[in-house]
Amino acid sequence: MPSLLGNIFKGWADYSKGVEEGGHHDYEHMFAMVIDLDRCTGCNACSTACYAENNLATVGEDKFGARQAMHWMRIERYFDEPDMDPDKDKVEPANETDTQSRGASFLPMMCQHCNAAPCEPVCPVGATYHTVDGLNAQVYNRCIGSRYCANNCPFRVRYFNFYENAESWPAPMDQQLNPDISVRTKGVMEKCSMCIQRTRAGRDAAKREGRDLKDGDIQTACQQTCPTSAILFGDLLDENSVVSKVWKRQQVKLGTYKQDKENSELRGYRIFEELNVDTKVLYLERVREV
Amino acid sequence: MATKIDRRNFLKVLGLGGAGAALAGCDMPSYATLEEGEEQVFSYLAPEEYMVPGIGVWYASTCLQCAAGCGVHGRVREGHALKLEGNPDTAVNKGKLCQMGQAALQTHYNPDRITSPRIGDKNVTWPEALAYIKEKGRGAPAWLTGSIGGHQAVLLDTHLRASGGGTHYAVETINAQAWQAACADTLGDAQPNLHVDKASSILSFGADFLGTWISPVKFMADYGAFRGDQRGVLTVVEPAMTLSGANADHWVAARPGSEAAVALGVANVLASEYGVSISTLPNGAADAIAAMSAGRVAELSGVDAKTLSKIAGTLMSNHPSLVVGDGSYETAAAAMMLNLMLGNVGATITPGAELIPADLGVRSGSTKALADFATDAGAGRIGTVFITGTNPAFTAPGGLKIKDALNNVGLKVALSMFEDETTALCDVVLPLASSLEDWGTHVPATGADRGEIHVQQPLMEKLYPDVLGLGDILLGLSQDAGADGLADFEDYYGYLRTAVSAMIGTELEPAWQAVLQAGKVQAPAQDRAFTANGALSFNVAETKAPAPGQLHLITTARQGLFDGRHANLPWLQEAPDQISKAVWDSWAEIHPATAAGLGLKDGDYITIGSDSGLITTRVFTYKGVHPDAIAVPMGRGHTDYGRFATGIGVNPLSLLDGTQDGRTGEFTNTATVRVQATGDNRHLVRLMDTDRQYGRKLAATITADQHRRNQANKQGSA
Repeated sequence: MPSLLGNIFKGWADYSKGVEEGGHHDYEHMFAMVIDLDRCTGCNACSTACYAENNLATVGEDKFGARQAMHWMRIERYFDEPDMDPDKDKVEPANETDTQSRGASFLPMMCQHCNAAPCEPVCPVGATYHTVDGLNAQVYNRCIGSRYCANNCPFRVRYFNFYENAESWPAPMDQQLNPDISVRTKGVMEKCSMCIQRTRAGRDAAKREGRDLKDGDIQTACQQTCPTSAILFGDLLDENSVVSKVWKRQQVKLGTYKQDKENSELRGYRIFEELNVDTKVLYLERVREV
Repeated sequence: MATKIDRRNFLKVLGLGGAGAALAGCDMPSYATLEEGEEQVFSYLAPEEYMVPGIGVWYASTCLQCAAGCGVHGRVREGHALKLEGNPDTAVNKGKLCQMGQAALQTHYNPDRITSPRIGDKNVTWPEALAYIKEKGRGAPAWLTGSIGGHQAVLLDTHLRASGGGTHYAVETINAQAWQAACADTLGDAQPNLHVDKASSILSFGADFLGTWISPVKFMADYGAFRGDQRGVLTVVEPAMTLSGANADHWVAARPGSEAAVALGVANVLASEYGVSISTLPNGAADAIAAMSAGRVAELSGVDAKTLSKIAGTLMSNHPSLVVGDGSYETAAAAMMLNLMLGNVGATITPGAELIPADLGVRSGSTKALADFATDAGAGRIGTVFITGTNPAFTAPGGLKIKDALNNVGLKVALSMFEDETTALCDVVLPLASSLEDWGTHVPATGADRGEIHVQQPLMEKLYPDVLGLGDILLGLSQDAGADGLADFEDYYGYLRTAVSAMIGTELEPAWQAVLQAGKVQAPAQDRAFTANGALSFNVAETKAPAPGQLHLITTARQGLFDGRHANLPWLQEAPDQISKAVWDSWAEIHPATAAGLGLKDGDYITIGSDSGLITTRVFTYKGVHPDAIAVPMGRGHTDYGRFATGIGVNPLSLLDGTQDGRTGEFTNTATVRVQATGDNRHLVRLMDTDRQYGRKLAATITADQHRRNQANKQGSA
């Protein structure tokens, strides 16, 4: 049993290390993603798979319009391409009579599992915290619904249960609910957990078999269903994982708000990097033939 | 712990020896609750044989949400299907699944399922319903279905033969009949294999291969490779943006109905500017291409000479290419001319295979079949009809007057999971089992390894005791009609097992279990060969700008609600439309300049009227639609389809007049409509109310040139 004093010193050491190393934590794993926007077709398969896997409530038109939908993973769709348009700083496009000359830009957006998550320190009850898997987790039965976390999230990927959403699952639809995770109740914040039930199951299976977790042991629901394989998931602490290799190849490092790339034309980038929240989702830019 | 039999070993025993348990894999519970391990204490007094508390078991089966026939793995825990994934061992979908496949769970667990047979408004027992059908049936019964293949189709044919030789009408609103006819005419093979992954460039004329065309998950999986290290270029020409168009490098708006003119115009440029030979093309093609000068293309489609040159240049510099087209026969045939000119046949288009037991093959649904049915029914030639897997009262063009035709049929029997617009007109409704409760074999629309048929097995017990599988009903009807050789089969499972055993040459249990575990079975098959092509005729439509006050309506299809069959699934109603991002309602897509000319803005209610019907919906302006067009996606507008679909949105199919394509007999999906503002406005609920990133780096882009430089440095690939 560690002493109280020991705990304090350990906590202080962890804290100062975190400050010195830009949000470093002593992780066992650091689960992260890569999303290739050039492969993403915007088809919604990932998002619907997420509804099925994670017991997400459907809310109907009115509540959706009030921004009360529960889509942990949403596909944003843009028609402008600031990197390619000469008039990118203008708010409205120059010529209204044109038709679209390129397709759209789709962006799967879910919790970025920031290493320096702005949602965490503002929670008055510590309901959101970082796990040893490097995930930003939400403890539902600790949440009191202050919504400070959602207010502080630059990605707007935290979803609050404004209502008891039980009518989402009229019998027998409730029989489909995934028993591995809870159904959230009114007054509770929820968000993408990178399929924590799957990561737990994968870790436990590896432990049972007395081995280390291998890359590919765990697939998130969105990754598994993605028809074009645009989504990769894995452990950044495992140097041989596919995600580690892609992060390295794209010269994107954790713990910084400004990447110093040798090759500035590499496609990898993190959204809102300048906010220094240290997200763990690497996007690869869409490629467009001019 | 005293005993060493843990749950995992118990499951292994079951997986190999337990009757009916075909374990594709299992997952373990993940709760660290007991001091010694990871598992949970569970009190479970009388477990089913294959049911182990807390342990999910994966069964292989087949997705029936559209006609593509993807293989799935279903996760079953405590006797309930909880999640579907793609079956990684199938060549069709390679472990992947689309949103419609994911939502099959909501079809199965839907609260609006029919649980009892009924005659009129009165619930009855099965024997009462069957006796009624026998008593009231007149003449040889006909079948009205969706696309159907495998052993269900064999039994359906058997029933038709045994009961007097009635007609089978296979109806699909979203189909590829025009493309298949063009392939048959030019290659002698209606269903060639298309290799999206092997193409360096793809040109599509309205064939939404990423969204709804033939086998979208198959094409999307190949598209992932297409967008790989050697990145291909996608060009899409269409009147309103589809999911494929939304992923295009170059998107070109063409006036509705003018896609064939653009395709022939591209061929003209290839011949005149790049010297590509057109002498080997079928008779009739060369003349049509020569007649399609750039000026003529611009007149018909609004696509200028510069754009044609750009399309042609992209094709020339990115070999091999793949050109696809659908919507009208001329469009598909013109696309195929481009394939022949560019040498794509044999490279990205290869011969398909056909099953040697030909009666297993798919009866591909068409809208011509619906026209034929309406004609036959209207003329009083159909005494009895069985309807399943299609909802003609919803999907028929308004001008077809399908309800009158149906009412002219003596006895209408619906086999359905849900009450819909068609069951409302039927005399007898029989409750159908869901795809997760039924047995079957299904021939994938395309992309399966040669001769591979996907096997469907129940993932769980029936939710309702009185529902029956389609195969069981077909078997019972066939037996009742005195069909030969079926008397010994107690149920469809017995029939199917015997049939599959004959196919694999053994009746042994392990072989059968292996088939179920794989979710597929190998049928004898042979490759087709392409044959020389004959003459073609191109009747290029005389498309022009609409008269003042009018617009060209296009009814568009989306992966999601599809032809309306998935409108009762809340996951899909709430999944923002891929293009407009709207939820839970319909909308009409209009170009901003056109809208401004009509004095319309986003959210304005308008009436859209044709000679066949009138709908009222809201305006959504964006630049992905031709200025002469108004596009309304189909899928919503149900008047009788359960709590999640009824009364939501509008059905644009009601505006179509039922004009048929000259060569294929398919209904056209366009009409000339009058548009008028009602004066009301209400905000259209969408995922996001902006289309722009305001200079932020959200969905970022680099040019292909930059990408190629990276590839050359071998650093940029993912």
